[in-house]
Amino acid sequence: MRRLRVQLTILLALLGLLVMAWGATIFLGARDAARNSASVQLTVDRVDGLRQAATRLSRDFVTMDTSRRAYLLTGDKATLQTQVQAEVHASEGFEQLRRLALPWKGLPPLVERVGTEYRAWVRTGRTEVKARQAGAQAAARVAAKGFADRQFRALWERQTRLEDELAQRQAAYASSQGRTYKAAQTLAVRTAVMVLAAVLLIALYLRRAVGAPADALRSASGRLAGGDLGTPVELGVDNELGAVASDLETMRRRLAGRMEALERLRHLSAQVVGATSLQRLAEVVLDGLQPEIGATRTILGAARPGGDLVLRALAGFPDGGVADDIVKADADIRELLPMAALRGGQVVGMANLERVASSPTLHDLVARTGVRSLALVPLLSRGRFLGLLALCWTQPHPLDREQEALLGLAGNQIAGALEAALRLEEAERAAGEARAVFYAIADGVLLTDPFGRVTAVNRALEALTGWTEDEARGRTYAEVLPIAEDQVGGPADLVSRYGRKVPVTVSSAPIFDARGRVVGGVDVIRDVSKEREIDEVKSALISTVSHELRTPLTLIHGFAELLVLRDMPVERQRSSAVEILDASRRLARLIDDLLSVSRMESGRLVLDPRPLDLGTVVERILSPFRAMAATHTLRAKLPGSLPVVWGDPDKVEQILTNLVGNAIKYSPGGGEVLVTVEHDGDSVQVSVRDQGIGMSPRDMGQLFEKFYRVERDEVRRAGGTGLGLYITRRLVEMHGGRLWAESWPGVGSVFSFTLPTSDELAGSGR
Amino acid sequence: MKLLIADDEPAVRDLVHVTLEGDDYEILEAADGVEALEVARGEGPKLVLLDIMMPKLDGLEVCRQLKSDPDTSDIVVVMLTAQAQERDRDQGLAAGADDYFTKPFSPLALLNMVERVRQTQSQAD
Repeated sequence: MRRLRVQLTILLALLGLLVMAWGATIFLGARDAARNSASVQLTVDRVDGLRQAATRLSRDFVTMDTSRRAYLLTGDKATLQTQVQAEVHASEGFEQLRRLALPWKGLPPLVERVGTEYRAWVRTGRTEVKARQAGAQAAARVAAKGFADRQFRALWERQTRLEDELAQRQAAYASSQGRTYKAAQTLAVRTAVMVLAAVLLIALYLRRAVGAPADALRSASGRLAGGDLGTPVELGVDNELGAVASDLETMRRRLAGRMEALERLRHLSAQVVGATSLQRLAEVVLDGLQPEIGATRTILGAARPGGDLVLRALAGFPDGGVADDIVKADADIRELLPMAALRGGQVVGMANLERVASSPTLHDLVARTGVRSLALVPLLSRGRFLGLLALCWTQPHPLDREQEALLGLAGNQIAGALEAALRLEEAERAAGEARAVFYAIADGVLLTDPFGRVTAVNRALEALTGWTEDEARGRTYAEVLPIAEDQVGGPADLVSRYGRKVPVTVSSAPIFDARGRVVGGVDVIRDVSKEREIDEVKSALISTVSHELRTPLTLIHGFAELLVLRDMPVERQRSSAVEILDASRRLARLIDDLLSVSRMESGRLVLDPRPLDLGTVVERILSPFRAMAATHTLRAKLPGSLPVVWGDPDKVEQILTNLVGNAIKYSPGGGEVLVTVEHDGDSVQVSVRDQGIGMSPRDMGQLFEKFYRVERDEVRRAGGTGLGLYITRRLVEMHGGRLWAESWPGVGSVFSFTLPTSDELAGSGR
Repeated sequence: MKLLIADDEPAVRDLVHVTLEGDDYEILEAADGVEALEVARGEGPKLVLLDIMMPKLDGLEVCRQLKSDPDTSDIVVVMLTAQAQERDRDQGLAAGADDYFTKPFSPLALLNMVERVRQTQSQAD
């Protein structure tokens, strides 16, 4: 850069020098002119002296010639004398002339030529004089020859030429003196013109180097002040003003950059606001920031309620596996992150990850993802740390202050969007949950608007009413759910679209908005047919049990009262006592059976299995029956060898006793009861066959249900709780076996069950 | 006097037999509701003792049918049941029963009731 001050200094110095030169020129010119004039004057004077000397010499020559001629004519001595004196005078004058002419160029030869003629003339003169002295005739002859006259004429010519020369020179010197003055004047004028030109040039220069740029600067700064950042500031001068302009230009560019960045930020904030998912947010952020800072990838993490960061979205990565890699390196990344600074809201740059990566895992990650540097932008909303945005470069990239500031600003925008997106996500999740609950809930749910029109129904309600949700939407409540108003809130009968009647309970509630206005209603319709059924079963069971209990009680009470209060024959007394005894036995058995059933159904009946020899068990239970039964033949058919079965001895005995007891009970006419034991694969099958009354197919269907008893008098008379076969079947099943029956009315029945031979007892706790 | 005891429990029928033992009563028996209706219609007893829980047709229905039939509506119907709840009593009376005995019942109270019916009947005759 050429420094303006230096330039101006140089210019002023030059100008000063020029002025000084001008002054000097005028001074010196004047002095020279004066000096020249003096020297020319001197020369002119000297030439004048020469001319006077020459003139005097000429006068002497004339005197000599005149006196010599007079002498020659007259011989007058006085004239001779005059001639001699003049000759002396002339010689002196000549010598003086010669001396004076010496310094002058070209004059001495002229003088010498005059001298030569002079000397020749003098000699001839002297000869004539001598001749005169010799006589007047001699002299007349000599004179007649005329040598001396001719020589004088030659001398005179020479002398005249010399004088002319001198006169010419004198004139030349005089005119040269005038020229000197003129030259000095010309010089002064020229110098003045030069100075003027220089001043003009300097003015021009100043105009160009200072004035125009200053104007341009003024207008540029005015433009900048007026907010015009689009026009570049350019002066095209290379000096301080140029530097100012270039600074202004830099400032303009920065401001324009800032404005552009602000514009981008505004755009970014408009974009991020619209990002409803975290993935979309990451993409939008990358799109918005990439032109600004050059990062090509982003990683977005959100903080869990506990504060832990969780990877939520990636953008710009070419490979989908990066997410897994990042998650795998989670612990190492956590160690690397300067969480304290980030939580404080500070943007942190990591210019060279390869240098920062502390562990092999991180090195691996850096190599695999191709990310070389990071800018970590904390996302804070109202001081709460919501998440972290990492902008990634594939080259080492140190973050400058401007980018840092920009990212800080962008971070605020993104944090707001992140918060909204997280909230939306949470709301959507909650809504999804609510929707899933709504549709999956087993009770029918119906939503209505404030005008009683259906807005939604769930699957259960579709099943209950027969209306699909699409059909039901927009219809009135009463159409879809025909239930009388007074039944709402309590039990009701719902008649479906297709006429099916379902007992339900309805509970309703209004739906309020945030301001407490009713925006709809919700009705929950519970299908209570199961509950009703259970209630009915329960009350039937209670009434059955109470009936079963009261019947023997009635007998005991009745016969006892008769015994006490009535006189009866002894025979009748005895039979009454037997009735009481039977009834009380039946009562005891009933209570036992009820307890067994209760224990089995509540899972409190536990088997105590051990190896059993079925043959021994069969024989053991048969013997008391043999003792009691008079009309029945009890027989066991056992194979030669039987595998050991696993079972609870008491329970297996109970099973067998029940079946054999039933066989006797239901063959009131007597006959054979045959117990067969067979080995069949990995189980042993036991069958009890009788020749009794048999059962109808209808009875067979309900045979193993609780309290089911074949409705025949002889059976009733035999007594029974209706629980025996139910208990028996449950006991067999607890052993992992199976119980079934075959029967032919009037012919007899066969009850068979299996017991496993292995120790794999199924469901010993059931 | 003819009376009918309808109960699916033979022992209960025995008890009624023993209670009313004597020459004054001819005791008919039925083990289920259908049989009870048949006997009541065929034999024309003055009094029917009806168990409620009976196979085929329950006592309430038997009572209702007897009372709705002009031929049998004069028969005095007394319910004998193990169901002691108020609701059951009301149901029985609603079905047209004249009286109600809850099991376990007192045989002598039953006897008294039957005697009263007999006297009423004999006065009417």
